[in-house]
Amino acid sequence: MRLTTKIWLRLRSLFHRDTVDTELDAELRFHLEHQIAENIAAGMSPEQARTAAIREFGGVDQLREECSDMRNVSWLQDFVQDIHYGLRILRKSPGFTAIAVLTLALGIGANTAIFSLVDSALLRALPVSDPQSLMLFQWTAHSSPHHFSYSNYGDCDDRTGETNPVGCSFSQPMFNDLRARADAFSSMAAFAGGEGLDLAGNGAATRVDSPEYVSGDYFQTLGIRPFAGRLIGSADDAPTASPVLVLSYNYWRTNFGGSPSAVGKTIFLNKVPFTIVGVAEPKFDALSPGNPIDLWLPLSAVSRIEVPWDNRDADFNDWWLLIVGRLKPGVARTQAQSAVGTIFFNEVVHSAKPVLKPEDAPSILLVPSQKGLTGYSTDVSAPLYVLMCAVGVVLLIVCANVAGLLLSRATARQKEFALRFALGARRGRVVRQLFTESLLLSLAGGALGILFARWAAQGISAFIDASLENSMAFNPHIDGRVLAFTAAVSILTGMIFGLAPALRGMRVDLTPALKEGSGASAPPVHRGARWFSAANTLVVAQVALTMIVLVAAGLLVRTLANLKSVDPGFDTRNILTFRIDPTLIGYKRPELDTFYAGLQERLAAIPGVTSVSYSWRPLLGGGLWTTDFHLPGTPKDQSADADMLPVGSGFFETMRIPLRLGRQFTSQDFDQAARVGEVLDAEQQRVAAAVKTSPAAAAEQNKDAAADLPPTPAIVNEAFIRKYFPEINPLGAPFGAHGVDDSNPTSNPGWEIVGVVGDAKYSRLRRDVAPTIYVPSSGRAVCFTLRAGIEPLSLVPQIRSIVGQMDSNLPIFMIRTETQQIDRQLFVERLIARLSSFFGLLALVLACIGLYGLLSYEVSRRTREIGIRMALGANPADVLRMVIRQGIALAAVGAVIGIVVALGITRFLGSMLYNVKAGDPLTFTGVAVLIAAVAVFACYLPARRATRVDPLVALRYE
Amino acid sequence: MTKPVDLVQGTLDMLILKTLALEPAHGWAIAQRIRQVSKNVLQVNQGALYPALHRLEQQAWIKSEWGESENNRRAKYYSLTKAGRKYLEEEQANWERLSAAIGLVMNIA
Repeated sequence: MRLTTKIWLRLRSLFHRDTVDTELDAELRFHLEHQIAENIAAGMSPEQARTAAIREFGGVDQLREECSDMRNVSWLQDFVQDIHYGLRILRKSPGFTAIAVLTLALGIGANTAIFSLVDSALLRALPVSDPQSLMLFQWTAHSSPHHFSYSNYGDCDDRTGETNPVGCSFSQPMFNDLRARADAFSSMAAFAGGEGLDLAGNGAATRVDSPEYVSGDYFQTLGIRPFAGRLIGSADDAPTASPVLVLSYNYWRTNFGGSPSAVGKTIFLNKVPFTIVGVAEPKFDALSPGNPIDLWLPLSAVSRIEVPWDNRDADFNDWWLLIVGRLKPGVARTQAQSAVGTIFFNEVVHSAKPVLKPEDAPSILLVPSQKGLTGYSTDVSAPLYVLMCAVGVVLLIVCANVAGLLLSRATARQKEFALRFALGARRGRVVRQLFTESLLLSLAGGALGILFARWAAQGISAFIDASLENSMAFNPHIDGRVLAFTAAVSILTGMIFGLAPALRGMRVDLTPALKEGSGASAPPVHRGARWFSAANTLVVAQVALTMIVLVAAGLLVRTLANLKSVDPGFDTRNILTFRIDPTLIGYKRPELDTFYAGLQERLAAIPGVTSVSYSWRPLLGGGLWTTDFHLPGTPKDQSADADMLPVGSGFFETMRIPLRLGRQFTSQDFDQAARVGEVLDAEQQRVAAAVKTSPAAAAEQNKDAAADLPPTPAIVNEAFIRKYFPEINPLGAPFGAHGVDDSNPTSNPGWEIVGVVGDAKYSRLRRDVAPTIYVPSSGRAVCFTLRAGIEPLSLVPQIRSIVGQMDSNLPIFMIRTETQQIDRQLFVERLIARLSSFFGLLALVLACIGLYGLLSYEVSRRTREIGIRMALGANPADVLRMVIRQGIALAAVGAVIGIVVALGITRFLGSMLYNVKAGDPLTFTGVAVLIAAVAVFACYLPARRATRVDPLVALRYE
Repeated sequence: MTKPVDLVQGTLDMLILKTLALEPAHGWAIAQRIRQVSKNVLQVNQGALYPALHRLEQQAWIKSEWGESENNRRAKYYSLTKAGRKYLEEEQANWERLSAAIGLVMNIA
């Protein structure tokens, strides 16, 4: 109430100044009349009474000013006046204003664009109600739990397998226990991503890439509302409940045309019928950022969809669920943490089959979900922060640049300031005027910068769309938060670059400044002082900062170039890959292997196709399978590790991976693999079923079921031979056989080396080639690879029709060329190399303008001096050298400082670089040469102008 | 007659508020009343009075409205707001504490 009154009064004083003044006059007149009346009553004549009253009253104008001050509006009026004056000044020199605003717009725009990217990827609040009270469960211990199975779908940054591991996945029985016994939470929910599903019953068969399994109270715990229909409830998450699912808003829009009739429809996931009961509200596309979910299923659906890991719901040793809990109001996090920690400790240490020992001190950490559920953002946060730093540096350069411009103007305006001081202006008042001008510039720059940022954000979006299928993950746009950031940055920028001219403005020496014409003849400053002048410092700073940005950009560009020129060990040209998963629609061994053989044959018959094969995952697709095995001749409890890739026939010819020793796989090898696979699968199913009934007995029942089988033939790479068989002839050597023991619920006949191939990259370009075992693929989902003699993407329609003819229910997905595959994998590197080199060039241009501006100003300031020198016989070459020497000296000092600082900070790029050291001499030299060349260019123009100075004109000047 | 004393720094606001606590008044009347009540010791100069009134109004401790004066002239009447009354109470309490304390010190000798 009081506040609104105050604001009202202030506005009234500001905008109804006339009314307020009239009222004040009336009030004072009333007082005066009373005074006169009293004087008359005291015996004066009316004339005398009036004079006396007025005398006593004092200056009315002064009183009026004082009252106005008291109304606290004078600063506002001054401000409005400053703005008017500032605008007039800026209008008077449109060239300067345009350059300053444009420079600022580039700097602020770059910051806005990158911030919008950072904001969308890293800073968004979780799309749930009251994110602060939603806690993510993390477990920690001194050593890794001894699991049969542990999975993580990228929702949180698991660090398992290290000392003091931290992880977010729990078993379902553990979740049930925690939920039943932890009373610090008002509700608790669990969720987990899953493998892609085959969706039928809605037009052509398609693939659902990102399903999520959630407990019945998931949506209620998060506070999510349905957009249509209803969400999954507790009753749906029971083995007997009728199977239901909820679509995400985006999936509904794109795959069901946003039709209301989708709700209530029955569709088939991996041939199991599910009823769509609703659509989630648009803002909720996933709990963890960066991986939008297509549809949600109750946890009970896991066993219905018959995914191979079928007893997840009952197995204490299968950790796969993430847990979030909503703290009860008033319960402290630490209190809840120790309560659930005790439950956890007892379960993992004292259960029938303990996975940890008491001395491992297993416990639970409750982490605010916003902090714990990092999702996709962990992959991009480091590069994004590097970019944010780069644009921050660019903005500093912009500040230095504009400060330099303002400084030379402030020198030119010394007379104006001197006059104002002479007339009684306070220093603070003039400084405020200067700051107002700076702010006007930076706000104008900010406004224009928003336009630039919009273009930039659109460009970045387009680049992301072209590179990633899942582009929704990462979508910069300019909204209120970003605008607030821009406003803050603009104001801060104005303050920073406004500092220099403001300080200069305060140091005006009245007498010489007011003397006519003293500006043009440079005051005879001794040389030392001039070297450390503010303007020189600013230029040096710009060059140094540019050096830093360019070095960083150079290192990142070289990293990308190195990654692109890495020899992957196979021929990446003209390769098309696509994936199918017939296991989802019920194919099993041996039909599955037959199906692949048939498909392989038909694809190979397409004109233009050179050869066809398949493998568990495509090379350089990011997927990786590593395995532990026992190497004969080493202690029993010691295990070796290697990458493992099941491949189809003709894989090495198709990929053009050279055979070094031995032979390729034959059809007998594939038959053998199928036989072993069948026995092991049956064994695993039996153990899984046994675990459900009696976990302890399970391990006892299946001694040596696979012991009679001969080892499976395997082809290994040279890295494998170097590491494990360096001395002996590896052909025929067996490895990896093991019986049933504590760590292995089933036995394995192991492998026998039949061939050795050249080293080839498996999952990622950055990863060194590890010892790799290639085994004959049997009975699993695969990725087909076609080598073509023509543009591979032109084969897609024929591939689709062939697969469709063989089974119309089988969706094919992730159709990519190997080049696309690599581009996709290098997406972050490409984005950051591109943006950082753009910012590097921007910095270079700005520094160039800064140097040019300073020298031009110097030349014009020293016109008379140059004229005298030339009149005394200096030739143009001397003058040219003099000006250029000054510029180069400044650039050299800046470059040296920049190199020193860059050496100190580029090591923070360490993990982002590839095959290039943070202090790479080539990059540093290259950047230094570039800066030198640009500096010479920037100096040359003003220097040439200096040589054109006509001594006669220069001396008459003034 | 002794010379009117200059007001102690910062007390003018309190005096004005106290005067207005009795009844709404215009500027002239406020000055007169302070002089009369203080038996001509406290003389409020109009050069200080009006800025003070505007300041107090700006703080929303007093509010003003135009009314008829005793001799049927239009005059600006000031009156205390709720916030002003509260502020006055605080100020008065402070003042009493302060003057009592000063009294104690001055009476030691």
